[in-house]
Amino acid sequence: MTGLMRRWLAHAIFALAAFATPLLLSGNRYFAFIAGITFFSVLWATGMNLLYGYTGLMPLMFGGIAGISAYVTIGLSANGWSFWLAMLVGSVAASLVGIVLGLPALRLRGFYFTLCSLVIQTVITLAFVYFVNLTNGDVGISHIPLPELPGGRQLAGTAYELVLATIAVIGVVVLTVIVESSFGRRLTAIREDDGLAETLGINVTRQKLAAFFVASLFASVGGALYAPYVGFISPRSFDVLLSLNIWVMVAFGGRGTIWGPVIGAVILAPVPFVLQDYYTIKDVVYGLLIIGVVVLLPGGIVGGVKRKGRADAPAAVAKQAAPVR
Amino acid sequence: MQKGYKILATGCALALALSTTALAHEPVKVGFVTELTGPWSFFGTSCIAGLKLAERHLNPAGERKIEFEVVDDQTKSDHALAAARNLDVQSKVIALSGPTSSDTALAINGYAEQNRVPFIVPVAAFPQLTKPGTHYTFRIEPDAAGWGYAIAQFVAKRKPSAKIALVYSDFALMRAIAAGLKYSAPKVGLKIEPEIVFPQGTSDATVQAAQVRAAHPDYVVVIGAGGFDNTLTNELLDIGIKPDQIIHPYGITTQVLNWGQRSVGSYYGTFFDANLDKLTAEGKQFVDQFRTQNGRPPSYIENYCYTTAYIIREAIDKNPSAADDREKFRDAISALKTKEPTSGIPIVFDKNGARKEYMYFMQIKDVQKTDYKSKQVFYIDWNPEAIPVYDLVK
Amino acid sequence: MSDTTLIILLSTITTGLMLGLIFSLVAVGVTIIYGSIWMPNAANGQFFLLAALFAWSTSVSWGLQPALAALLVIGSSVPLSYALEILLVRRFYDVPNRNISYFVLTLGITQILSGIFSITYGVWSDQFQLPPLVPGVTMLGPFPIANNRLAAMLIAAVLLAILFALLRFHRYGRALRAVFQNRDAAALRGVNVRGIYRMSFVLGNAVIFAGGVLFACAYSFDLTIAWTMAITAFAIMIIGGPGSVLGALVIGIVFGLTQAVASIFASPTIAAFAYLGAMLIILLFRPSGLFAR
Repeated sequence: MTGLMRRWLAHAIFALAAFATPLLLSGNRYFAFIAGITFFSVLWATGMNLLYGYTGLMPLMFGGIAGISAYVTIGLSANGWSFWLAMLVGSVAASLVGIVLGLPALRLRGFYFTLCSLVIQTVITLAFVYFVNLTNGDVGISHIPLPELPGGRQLAGTAYELVLATIAVIGVVVLTVIVESSFGRRLTAIREDDGLAETLGINVTRQKLAAFFVASLFASVGGALYAPYVGFISPRSFDVLLSLNIWVMVAFGGRGTIWGPVIGAVILAPVPFVLQDYYTIKDVVYGLLIIGVVVLLPGGIVGGVKRKGRADAPAAVAKQAAPVR
Repeated sequence: MQKGYKILATGCALALALSTTALAHEPVKVGFVTELTGPWSFFGTSCIAGLKLAERHLNPAGERKIEFEVVDDQTKSDHALAAARNLDVQSKVIALSGPTSSDTALAINGYAEQNRVPFIVPVAAFPQLTKPGTHYTFRIEPDAAGWGYAIAQFVAKRKPSAKIALVYSDFALMRAIAAGLKYSAPKVGLKIEPEIVFPQGTSDATVQAAQVRAAHPDYVVVIGAGGFDNTLTNELLDIGIKPDQIIHPYGITTQVLNWGQRSVGSYYGTFFDANLDKLTAEGKQFVDQFRTQNGRPPSYIENYCYTTAYIIREAIDKNPSAADDREKFRDAISALKTKEPTSGIPIVFDKNGARKEYMYFMQIKDVQKTDYKSKQVFYIDWNPEAIPVYDLVK
Repeated sequence: MSDTTLIILLSTITTGLMLGLIFSLVAVGVTIIYGSIWMPNAANGQFFLLAALFAWSTSVSWGLQPALAALLVIGSSVPLSYALEILLVRRFYDVPNRNISYFVLTLGITQILSGIFSITYGVWSDQFQLPPLVPGVTMLGPFPIANNRLAAMLIAAVLLAILFALLRFHRYGRALRAVFQNRDAAALRGVNVRGIYRMSFVLGNAVIFAGGVLFACAYSFDLTIAWTMAITAFAIMIIGGPGSVLGALVIGIVFGLTQAVASIFASPTIAAFAYLGAMLIILLFRPSGLFAR
């Protein structure tokens, strides 16, 4: 009981911080923008956590799904649709695509699935470049108008960041609910051993595809809102580097925990902006971070703390603790 | 009481006066987002070399100082956008400038128009940068569809009803040039066959070179990107296309040097070249100084970034209040009627921020290790809307 | 057959072979490393580019003879591989699902190298062109081909033949294949498994470097080739069968020829889609590849 209360307390604190940040930063549009981008990262990292942390699949086409949603949403609203309806259709469509792209996960595991998802991501990026009529090719789409609100006003500035904060909070709550539910427990069972899960009577196919749908929904809602917020999208906005960066946030924070990826996103998302003046070393820093996480912090920050806290590390963390001699 | 108000009023006036003088001494900041690293950095660094030369003469004593805050965008649109946002909000620059690639320029263009920041594009030729309704963006380089128009006029003059083979890489800029050429060629009786597109990341063109040769064209218009441009050119020459059949739409110094001795006789388009027939005194000085400093002659990239600095100086000199107000700065640029200091070509922007356009065609005469000789063979100027540029390229 | 058709035919065959041999070399390097250590080296494209850039620096900036420069560059891969092996690679030799750790690790290396290249070499990215190994042009009937390219082709073919013989007939090659098949059994038979791991990492990278150098000799290049090469090499390895050198060889040449043919009848972009599609299908329905042992 106290554990449950404590969990929701953490959510309340997170929600409070999320809503306070845009209000506190409203005086400086640049910092407020960084906060906005961080909310996207929190949402995306939370969605990838469902796949990578709880289902045990590392998808590298996450960015591509966000991109499909962004292009569909922008395309529809350019044809006169209301942004919100377009976003609904775009997100659901992209999530259905996400299920299809998740199909290989039924046959492939571990590295083979990840490689497959990398190929899919490459195909998606190529397609964004190739179908110039739909996507404007490598030039990208600029001048993306802000979403209209009822009453003819535009969603802009601090209000936009508050919407993003809401979405991020909802994302974390949804993940928590899923993890606590029997659906979440079935996913964890699949992560540990999907053969065993099958013999326990779990319909692995259906669970995996459901996980892909939900995670893709995280990706695509983010993608749809990202486009007007930044005002510009191009195939490069949603390439494999985005997927990798989200993966780093999840792994760095600690996969398979609710707060690990959130912490990872909050720490890492502002890094490119902070490093703006040190542009030359940005890629190198990110690369070192990836290697550092794999070599030194296989359980992420939260995993590391947990491991220190408890003498008998839980099985999942011990399994990730890579260099066993 | 009255006295008190008076003192307060005087104090306020004094404070105001102090702050305005402080403002007058503060330098005018211009954000310069360009490609210092990444695939187009050979453009961005050339541009900065030209800008640096201008900066030397840019701030005579007694005039309001102009400062360029240079930021790298890694040739990535999203970085360019983030940098533009930072310069706008954090550094409060009067205007943005700098990109030498159409992709990064378009990303900043969207931001500048939405947030009302004047944006002077030195070197990016994608037509949509100045599409109708553009208010804050001004482009110094002629648009790429127009280059295609110019190539058609050039070929038609050399050989009426010639057959052109068109080979290009699938980049926005190259597509725009090709679109302009394909639109203009039939209007002056030229035929385009074959037309071959290479996707980004292609490394070989032998087979396509063979296809080109098999079609027996009079001219081959070669629009490659980066290293592939060299491969493409060499493979065409390998398979027996003659240098004087080859037309490159644009040639910057490093490219001409890369094409090398075997390309002597081939043609390239440009907007400034050390070998132009007519250079102003300042233009000659610019070429000499640039050569001394960088060990090679400048081309249009360097010239346009040099010119950008002069345009900003002139706009502020003609209208000092433009230095602190973006709307006034925008109007000052829009109203400007001036000339490129180096070549004397007029600079006048139309209502969309596009310039009255022009192009030179040069023929390579000799290529050394760090220098080359070429001869001006054709000059043309035209109104940006001589062809429907904004409909041709979306 | 008219001259025109003959020219197109010959250009297709030579281009296909040229690209195919280089693809094969790189894919063989990647597959040797994967087959033994179980390391999918996603940084293969960056290594390939590193070699090409280094060859450019040594031959153009330092003015070395191209052939000498090539040897120097391939030699330089050995200390680099050793350093990486000691620093990173050997930490994971005994981890059960190490292929995914390695995959992510090498994606990190990719990021670092591409960052470094962008800062250092980016400025010259339109100038990467090596002086020819052998100047001049040879006529194959009506079709002119640069001697330089013929030389690069010949060297690639010879290298592949040597590699093949090494793996088939030499003691080291047999030990390597034993480790490929079953590492525990190999260890029981007295094979120094870790020694073989290190050797194959070094050998694999040297082969990738050789591919990069030969590519640089034959073509102008820029920084974007790294990613294209990485994806292509992976596709070849997966279709040919991870760990199968014969598979990498055959599929590499098939890829080269397909690319050359496809670029006549369809746009080269379609060829790129076709590769990736083929790779997906193989991954899904025959993950051990076409040449599984």
